[in-house]
Amino acid sequence: MNRMSQSLVMVFLGGAVLRITVFSTTYLNYVKPGFRPFLIAAGAVVLALGVIGLIQEWRKPYLTGPDHHPDGGHSEHGGHDEHGKHGGHDHSHGPRVAWLLCLPVFAIFLIAPPALGAFAARSEEPPPRPPISAETYSALAGDTVTAMPIGEFIGRAWADSTYSLTGKRVRLTGFVVPSAKKNRWYVTRIQMNCCAADGIPLKVAVLKAARPPVDTWVEVTGTWVRPKSDRIPNGMVAPELVATDVTEIPQPVEPYE
Amino acid sequence: MSDRALADAPTELPPSEWGRRSAAPPATPWIFAAIVVLLVAGRFVLTPLLAFPSLQTWATIFVAISVQALPFLVFGVLLSAAITAFVPASFWTRALPRHPYAAVPVAGAAGAVLPGCECASVPVASGLMSRGVTPAAALAFLLASPAINPVVVVATAVAFPGQPMMAVARFAASLIVAVLVGWLWLRFGRSTWLRVPTRTAAAGSKWEAFREAAQHDLLHAGGFLVVGGMTAATLNVVVPRSWLTTVADVPLLSIVVLALLAVLLSICSEADAFVAASLTAFSPTARLAFLVVGPMVDLKLIALQIGTFGRAFAARFVPLTFILAVLVSMAVGGVLL
Repeated sequence: MNRMSQSLVMVFLGGAVLRITVFSTTYLNYVKPGFRPFLIAAGAVVLALGVIGLIQEWRKPYLTGPDHHPDGGHSEHGGHDEHGKHGGHDHSHGPRVAWLLCLPVFAIFLIAPPALGAFAARSEEPPPRPPISAETYSALAGDTVTAMPIGEFIGRAWADSTYSLTGKRVRLTGFVVPSAKKNRWYVTRIQMNCCAADGIPLKVAVLKAARPPVDTWVEVTGTWVRPKSDRIPNGMVAPELVATDVTEIPQPVEPYE
Repeated sequence: MSDRALADAPTELPPSEWGRRSAAPPATPWIFAAIVVLLVAGRFVLTPLLAFPSLQTWATIFVAISVQALPFLVFGVLLSAAITAFVPASFWTRALPRHPYAAVPVAGAAGAVLPGCECASVPVASGLMSRGVTPAAALAFLLASPAINPVVVVATAVAFPGQPMMAVARFAASLIVAVLVGWLWLRFGRSTWLRVPTRTAAAGSKWEAFREAAQHDLLHAGGFLVVGGMTAATLNVVVPRSWLTTVADVPLLSIVVLALLAVLLSICSEADAFVAASLTAFSPTARLAFLVVGPMVDLKLIALQIGTFGRAFAARFVPLTFILAVLVSMAVGGVLL
């Protein structure tokens, strides 16, 4: 890999990172919103290193005359000297591995990976039981519809000793995941803590409503179905909701909870 | 791609060519121009053809791991380059105890001050070694720093509300493993196993040396990070997590399984506590093993270590670290949890 290629790969990588952070909200498909400043800083550093390298590459014939050549050549190509030595130990790990940095760039531009959807949440297994939060849940309004995150709904359904959900109408936002069981589908949101690799699907089973196409984003209004038996341990089955209204909506800017 | 690399090789070899414009074959800009056209056109032509759910899920996780690790990698690389270019080698001989066996725990505890995850620690440890720090001490730093720094400790405490001992146990177990591995490496390690990066200060200005070191480390470590990210994304998509819950009740096996899961998932050490907290079917000790192994041994880290220190090193260092991490987690978990 010559020096111009090195610099160009860095320009591509830095440019791709800035493309998904500064000029769009695509980065929200991959990481938490709070990550943006770090990503912009990292992208800018990579881009700057690449651009400086390119400028030096272009100016080199004019900077280093034949007299300065040995010094200039040595310092400029320290990286390659080092790799010559490494080659003695291990031939397979030259700087050629840096070509792989093109792959995230290709993936970002060509595949344009969307937020995790029904494929990532396809398992029929219920979500892992969320850790019981120390906070106590407040009472819900009696007559109006309360919008809440799916995580909070599951927490109230599983861990609330006062059964605050009973009889209350709530609105959940998520995407549609089919179920193997009859007469139900899941409204689902992926809970993400740092990046999409640690995403956990949170699912609520929707009853008595026709299933929209898979991966459609919907707002589901309905009422929690209290399990008939308290003896089923939490986390064995997804909480259930009888829907009164299902509205299709565009994908939220922030696709994860 | 390999064709390109082969085509480049001859132009890199003759030193008489260096420093002249001909060092960069004139074809290079054109190939990159073609890539730009491919990226722009492909957006409209190829993207609809690549819309398989499985491929998209894989790509989302792959890009997420790469993008999420990049700021930490850049931070680590810049810090490492700064150590190489601006901190004189004599500083480290004064800062660390002279005796290597005493230097190991000091370096391990020093990991507590570097906020970051495991991607940052590999280039920093490599920079420390190239400045004359005892390899065993740098390795203790490498293992300890991603697990015991304040950001990770706070994240662990937040992820386990009402279980403060989890953060304490993680801190203790990680530091113990790091120091033990450092001492074992000091006692039994051979210098031929470890490819210490020999980075002599360049003849040019310090800023030029800084830029050279940063660019080289970034490209090198970044390439291996991509290897690790691809592997982790593949396993993430292919292996269903439901396989895990079937072994959650078996005491010893569950610990080993969660330790292996930490290796496979390659989650950033600043986020793994939240994943561990969601694995409620498992015992606290098994989850502690997940938290201790994850920052020390995982796929992207193994790829980074092979790239930075060589295959002979990783073949010995990785199993040693993994086994010690599991054993120490069991001991600490038995006492504290």
